[in-house]
Amino acid sequence: MRSSVRSFCERELRPIAGEIDQEARFPWEVVEKMGRLGYFGIQAPKELGGAEMDSISYSIIIEEISRVCAGIGLCVTVHNSVGLYPLLAFGSDEQKTKWAAPLAQGAKIGAFCLTEPNAGSDARGIESTAVLRGDQFIINANKVFVTNGGVADICLIFVRTGAPGEVSVVVAERGTPGFVVGDLEDLCGMRANPVSSIRLYDCAVPECNLLGRQGDGLKIGLVALDAGRMGIGAQAVGIGQGALEESLRYAKQRRQFGAPIEKHQAIQMMLADMATQVDASRLMVYRAAGLKDKGEPFSQAAAMAKLYASEASCKVTDMAVQIHGGYGYSKAYPVERYYRDARVTRIYEGTSEVHRMVIFRGLLKK
Amino acid sequence: MGLNLVVCIKSVIMKPPEGDIVRSEDLLQLNPYDRPAVETALRLRKIRGGTVTTLSMGPEDSNAALLETLAMGADRGILLCDPAFKGSDTLATSTVLAAGIKKLDSFDLVLFGTRTADSDTGQVGPQTAVALGIPIVTGVHAIEFVDDDLHVERRIDEFIEKYQVLPPAALSVSLRSFEPGDIGLQSIEVAFEKKALENWNIADLGLSSEMTGDAGSPTKVISMSKVKRDRTCELLEGAPAEQVDGLVSRLKESGML
Repeated sequence: MRSSVRSFCERELRPIAGEIDQEARFPWEVVEKMGRLGYFGIQAPKELGGAEMDSISYSIIIEEISRVCAGIGLCVTVHNSVGLYPLLAFGSDEQKTKWAAPLAQGAKIGAFCLTEPNAGSDARGIESTAVLRGDQFIINANKVFVTNGGVADICLIFVRTGAPGEVSVVVAERGTPGFVVGDLEDLCGMRANPVSSIRLYDCAVPECNLLGRQGDGLKIGLVALDAGRMGIGAQAVGIGQGALEESLRYAKQRRQFGAPIEKHQAIQMMLADMATQVDASRLMVYRAAGLKDKGEPFSQAAAMAKLYASEASCKVTDMAVQIHGGYGYSKAYPVERYYRDARVTRIYEGTSEVHRMVIFRGLLKK
Repeated sequence: MGLNLVVCIKSVIMKPPEGDIVRSEDLLQLNPYDRPAVETALRLRKIRGGTVTTLSMGPEDSNAALLETLAMGADRGILLCDPAFKGSDTLATSTVLAAGIKKLDSFDLVLFGTRTADSDTGQVGPQTAVALGIPIVTGVHAIEFVDDDLHVERRIDEFIEKYQVLPPAALSVSLRSFEPGDIGLQSIEVAFEKKALENWNIADLGLSSEMTGDAGSPTKVISMSKVKRDRTCELLEGAPAEQVDGLVSRLKESGML
């Protein structure tokens, strides 16, 4: 599986990875192929058109895509984990047929709309609302930094449905009157991903678009983010691996003081540290995935894996730039892209600080 | 009645060896020249029905290549694996493959790639056909059924040859035939679930150890070393016009102009 995914990514994504980053272009031509090959329903059941793979396979796939192009790795992991998975876990049969199936088959793209200008880590503090009027929810929402936002068809919108703190999830489809896709964010990294704001102005959706029950929002969010964390961890592993490979290649060819720089101990130390940190991250992600596959509690392991892998990928890509010297700071080599892409893994789907909080609370439970 | 199609594949080493050849899983890949043969079998099955069996001789790590053929759509994969097969040359390999094919209930077509990406002899297909006593057409790029006759085409230099072939027969399939598509994730999952991989050893094949491995190999690779290319570099100096004149006169001297 790894070799199939790798050869696909090398052939389809490698040649365009630098260009789509610079142009901030979403490569529909490749994404459509990925949809046909099952990348958008990696763990969805076969009857909905998914590949029904386990979590370790999922991690390997995200890792391999991100090794070449983290922006598309992000598109795939967010779609699968926080876009599609909550529908599989909490959706009614009708909701699964209506939304989960086209998402799993890659016919539509999903997004998870939680973050607002004034709420992110503190999900209880969201200000968007959905008010039940007759048999319709009237949604007013202002969501920012929505991954896949520019291309998503089916969005899970986190809203207040009663008193502050009563959070629910309502599904809204692009094209519904009042559903507005904002401008793309001009981001430091992950530029191939159309991250945008999404605003809903008096957007009316049927009452049956409520996912789970009213007030289930925080629970849904936590379950989705548990799965999402593993994906971000896997993504960080892939970015680190990509940067390590580029650095090894460069260190063999770049000569200083009469020898390839790989012969210099300072470079060797950095490469050894990079490889060790990437490997440790990978093992932590696989452990969390393995626990999930066995049906055992995996929140703590997933939080640790996400925290460690994201922090490691920043250190690893920093060393990659250092090994490349001035060329590492130039767009002529891909490591500056890895460096920029790695940075956000410490921020999204829970910052490193929030993860430390989660991990600490986990320690108290023992 | 559908066709019983057999494709012989190899797990090849994609990295140039340094010292002894070790076939470990991370270095092995399904021989790229075998992919069109597998694809051809799948297309024939689509037209005529039947089954596609892939067959490979190699260590256990070669299972990954067989699994890949299952993910491509093959029905059954068989690994011919025994310590006694170690060190087989092309003749001993053909002996083992032919024994494996004979053990199958029946077969209509046996397909091969034209050669392998690692040892590159192109001998195993023809030798296996001889061992089975069936005809072979090599380097085929087009195959079609005209009623029940099989018509195949191969290209040699600037000519196209057309053959009529009566099954059971063997074909080696050119890279020009079909390019296999990408493998979907669902197919990979199905390949693992099918559990359609079998393992046959020397006793299963009814062979004796003198016929296989080192003992059964009349040829031995004595040594292998990298080709050293002597290159010299001469820098032409002077004004650009002088450099060009110098380059032209040197190319003329060497007969390249």
